[in-house]
Amino acid sequence: MSSFLQATLYGLLQGGLLALIAAGFSLVWGVMNIVNLAHGSFVILGAYVAWKLQSLTGVDPFLGMFASALALFVLGYLVQRYVINLVVNAPIFVTLLLTFGLDLLLVQGMNIVFSADYRSIQTSYASANFGAGGVRLPYGRLFAFLVAVAVTLVLVAVVNRTRVGLSITATGMDRGAARLMGIRARHVYALTFGIAAALAGMAGAMVGTVGTFQPADAARYTLLSFVIAVLGGLGNMYGAMAGGLVIGLVEAWGGQYLPGTWVNALAFLVLVLVLIFRPSGLVGKAYYAARVEV
Amino acid sequence: MQTNRTAVLGIGAALSLGLALSGCGAKVASSNAGSGSGGSAAVPDTLTVGASMSLTGKLAREGALTKEGYSACQDVVNAKGGIPVAGKKVKLNIQYQDDTSQPDTAAQLVDQFNDKGVKVILSSYGSASTEAQAAVVERNGQLMLDSAGADNKIFTKGYKRTFAVLSPATEYASSIIKAIGELAKPRPKTIAFLSADDGFSKTVTTGAVAEAKKEGFTVIPPEFFPNGASDVSSSLTKIRSQHPDVIIGSVHLVEGIAIVKQAKELGVTPSGGIGETVAPPTPDFAKTLGPLAEGVLGSSQWTPQVKGQDAYFGTAQDYANLIKSKFGHAPDYHDAEASAACLAIVLAAEKAGSTDVNKLRDAVAALDTQSFFGRIKFDASGQNIYKPMSVIQIQHGASVDVWPAADAAAKLVWPGTGK
Repeated sequence: MSSFLQATLYGLLQGGLLALIAAGFSLVWGVMNIVNLAHGSFVILGAYVAWKLQSLTGVDPFLGMFASALALFVLGYLVQRYVINLVVNAPIFVTLLLTFGLDLLLVQGMNIVFSADYRSIQTSYASANFGAGGVRLPYGRLFAFLVAVAVTLVLVAVVNRTRVGLSITATGMDRGAARLMGIRARHVYALTFGIAAALAGMAGAMVGTVGTFQPADAARYTLLSFVIAVLGGLGNMYGAMAGGLVIGLVEAWGGQYLPGTWVNALAFLVLVLVLIFRPSGLVGKAYYAARVEV
Repeated sequence: MQTNRTAVLGIGAALSLGLALSGCGAKVASSNAGSGSGGSAAVPDTLTVGASMSLTGKLAREGALTKEGYSACQDVVNAKGGIPVAGKKVKLNIQYQDDTSQPDTAAQLVDQFNDKGVKVILSSYGSASTEAQAAVVERNGQLMLDSAGADNKIFTKGYKRTFAVLSPATEYASSIIKAIGELAKPRPKTIAFLSADDGFSKTVTTGAVAEAKKEGFTVIPPEFFPNGASDVSSSLTKIRSQHPDVIIGSVHLVEGIAIVKQAKELGVTPSGGIGETVAPPTPDFAKTLGPLAEGVLGSSQWTPQVKGQDAYFGTAQDYANLIKSKFGHAPDYHDAEASAACLAIVLAAEKAGSTDVNKLRDAVAALDTQSFFGRIKFDASGQNIYKPMSVIQIQHGASVDVWPAADAAAKLVWPGTGK
């Protein structure tokens, strides 16, 4: 029983972190119909920013994540405003290729600047744990989970209650109509991409604190984000959280009761099942039906 | 769902394009003095050697260390004017290409080298790539010195043209078990095995389980997880309730770090300690884990305490100093095994008095020499028969040699991590 509880709790914590990794990916896909293949490299870049900051100034990664978010926001804004916006009306293949190329550039750039060495952001507390009996909760993962929940709630509040958020939703639903209402679509798009990159940067700082990273890990985080976004469903800010938690739990339970090498296949099996029975994802709405292509 | 479907198709297209691009690979200067000239031809000015390297992709770190080892060899040999072959000094010219850590690309690159007349090959990093390359080398009549492909499977296929300077996979974790059996007081009773699911790691685990049973330890059946996994929490949770005295991981760097980190997170504290293959001797291990790495055991293909010397690198300690001054870090066994593979080609060329690939192959097969890497002599299957493995332990943040006890730089600290 204690190993079931342990697996469940650890799976939930892991799921929260996965949700934070995927949140930005889901946002960009939902609003702009861009599948950002460079998302994983944004995550890793965020990890490097927090790591560099800690090694230079000793700043704790849970503060450093705000620096990662800021740096990645600026990068994301500029990339969307001056690069992706140029082809945002083109078929999805073009943005796919563009972000794929961007990913190659970023990964190779990080290889050159930071080398392929494995890194980890060391803290005195991240690996320590508390708990009773057979169940242990590591502090680092717990904090990362709390950050993920807080960020999701803030994101929901921003999107549903602020002027900026409403203009993001409006532009996502119907860009033509939004522009007629006086919304500057190119600015809103850049803002959305910037926010998504900032979320990836924060997630990167968490990943670096509880685990290890190197440039080549980018591809894995992009793939994970893709699965989680589809599983959770697009067009709902809770989608990534739902998808992340499900993947985290499935991997933990699968690892516990099945041979450990099956977990990857199991995650995709769940994805297939969800898409068969709930094609719009776990919490996704029939969002695209309301959407008018311009 | 049209959007999703289009996206999936698109991603498929993008990924295949990526593969195609990486398949094309980086370009290499096509200066080629031809190492495959006929036996009667004059000795060329340079011996060109092809090396497909994992310079990007998931093995980029290990690939970079391997490249350091090859380039150190080239520099040392050329600084002496070259290899003395039949009264002439022949310069060594190693050409590198990036295989992006993909075995099929590594194999294609060997073919490309062959097309350009480059007959002598230095292997890529890792068993998967080396295994793919060995088949191509055999078909093309090339010669390959294997610096980092340890899976025993490579040597069971009857290949006559692949020679490995390193110890086979079955020795990786068995050497740790032998060291614990010989030195650990109090002697642990139960050993749990955690293993990645790639061919190399599985072979390592099979060898180690057999050794542990032979030594009389109680063995908890191995738990496997995907190769490259950064989350091994499920496997750790599974073995926790069985309270093993020692955990042995058949892993690479990333899984090795994950085991130590997550064991701490989950409160899995074996009373003896943790031992792992591949990861602990690499500089990144202690750097990344900090104090958590203290006391972890690892096996190493080479340490600066190895006995023997050669005319190019001197002793193992000289080699350690060379790497330190050249690359600014303590030497890693990945550097040493790469340099040793290159050295085997150099010594064989000296002995053969020729750079012809067939004569070189015969000279490598007949090689019996001392070197900074220990004694090098190959058996009929191409494995280095005199090669023992050393066991290291992380003590005060550095990797030190603790077994075999006769050559050890420090005493084994026991219990290692279970204090």
